[in-house]
Amino acid sequence: MRFVRLQFTAMVCAALICFSGCGGASSGSNKSGSGSGGSGGSPTNTVAISVNAGPTGNYANGLFATVTVCASGTSNCQAINDVLVDTGSFGLRILSSALNSLSSALSNETANGNTIVECAQFSDGITWGPVAIADVKIGGEAASAIPVQVIGSPSFSSVPSGCSSAGSPEDNQSSLGTNGILGIGNFVQDCPACAPGTTKNGNFYYACSGPSSCSVTTVSLADQVQNPVAAFSTDNNGVVIELPAATSSTTSLSGSMIFGIGTQSNNALGSAKVYTINPSTGNFSTTFNSHTYSDSSFLDTGSNAYFFLDSAEAGLPTCPSPANGFYCPSSPANLTATNTGANNASASIPFTVDNAETLFSNVNAAVFPTLGGPLSGLFDWGLPFFYGRNVYVAIAGASTPGGTGPYWAY
Amino acid sequence: MLLACSFAFGVLGQDVTSVRTDSARIKAAVAVLPGQSYSVHEMIAPTGTTIKEFVSPAGEVFAVSWQGPYTPDLRQLMGDYFDQYLRAAQTFRRIARHVVHIETGDLVFESGGHMRFIVGRAYLRSKLPDGVTADAIR
Repeated sequence: MRFVRLQFTAMVCAALICFSGCGGASSGSNKSGSGSGGSGGSPTNTVAISVNAGPTGNYANGLFATVTVCASGTSNCQAINDVLVDTGSFGLRILSSALNSLSSALSNETANGNTIVECAQFSDGITWGPVAIADVKIGGEAASAIPVQVIGSPSFSSVPSGCSSAGSPEDNQSSLGTNGILGIGNFVQDCPACAPGTTKNGNFYYACSGPSSCSVTTVSLADQVQNPVAAFSTDNNGVVIELPAATSSTTSLSGSMIFGIGTQSNNALGSAKVYTINPSTGNFSTTFNSHTYSDSSFLDTGSNAYFFLDSAEAGLPTCPSPANGFYCPSSPANLTATNTGANNASASIPFTVDNAETLFSNVNAAVFPTLGGPLSGLFDWGLPFFYGRNVYVAIAGASTPGGTGPYWAY
Repeated sequence: MLLACSFAFGVLGQDVTSVRTDSARIKAAVAVLPGQSYSVHEMIAPTGTTIKEFVSPAGEVFAVSWQGPYTPDLRQLMGDYFDQYLRAAQTFRRIARHVVHIETGDLVFESGGHMRFIVGRAYLRSKLPDGVTADAIR
């Protein structure tokens, strides 16, 4: 294993394995029959979500849920726990190792006899693996025969240079820190510029005639890996992320993800205000001190802190190595920024950034409401923003009581 | 073609002529924006991503940045420093998604964003021209 844990991380990990039981099996047992959820009269459009240290025990501010994947049209299913709930991406991606025997039962997507294999680009690295057709069940909702990515498939272990040059590969549990990524953000497909007829190509999709014989190809929007929520038969216009407040670092936090906006009694917009986003970039604007992040600000359950500004601009020192991706003020910094939607709706958001090195020294904690770090050119409202809020994620083109998506509401 | 792809042709830390090589390989238009103590060569890659290369008065590329819907060819932009980034990314890290900030040796690498919108930069601390701070690189 190439992954060498840092000193403080190792302590956190060792402690959290005991607390969360994450040292055991990486995914649930095989089960047959219909999907989970909906029993006992509880709403079928919800699924439990939890902030915890994840399957590798070293995740900070990671939001996880259980997703059931089935070979399409069969009762051959696998419940996958510890899947990251990510509003910053679109589509379901599961580690091949977490699928166990189901991996060989899934049919891969093909075109002209070639297997379609995806190089999904994240800002922290890339995931490589074939596109499979699967039924996906989350809570009581189901999406039938949708394209999903199988990460780290032994059948396609050779990553093309065009893919590996886009970032560090995250193809196993230790590098990914989860069993998969459930992308339920504001859009349906992951690469509009990969569809035939576009003048640009995002280079997400490859046609492979063999395990190490792959070339960039186009894939139609319908055949791209996509947001499972949009493929549900009901409650498919978005999701609501509901998490309780966390006033200080703690071990875990439990909440709910509710499917649909204004479709049932449990997902009405209520007093939440709608902030529309640029349908091309997916961003809104944020003003912090004298800095305006025009069309370059976003909410993201998949980011594990508030990330903003350069250290010098923010007036906040970064931590010494190895935590130098985070801020380390000598005392908690109480800050305020203003979010403005494309529709000019605005809100003043107070937030606090504390010393990350001190926070991480709490070896029992995986929930850090005051974690912040540097990021030039973007304002990234990561998971701490979601603590103590109900946040609505409306999908592009979907009709909701708050208007047509894409938008955020809170 | 295979040879070209595997050839370490990056520009970070290299001479300004590598910018021209880069633009030819990326098939991008280059605009030179003269600055006070350095110049910025801006390219739009075919993926729609804007790439900037920052060149010191001595003609050395001391920083690169990118912003757009898709990640550029980082190996090409960073050359030998790409492997340094990879080693650091796979070693020195707590699990983090969507944001990377790495400081290793002379190299600072930063990347963030979400699917469909990615922003990043890489620069060499010792090569920043006098009076230029990191916040100028974006």
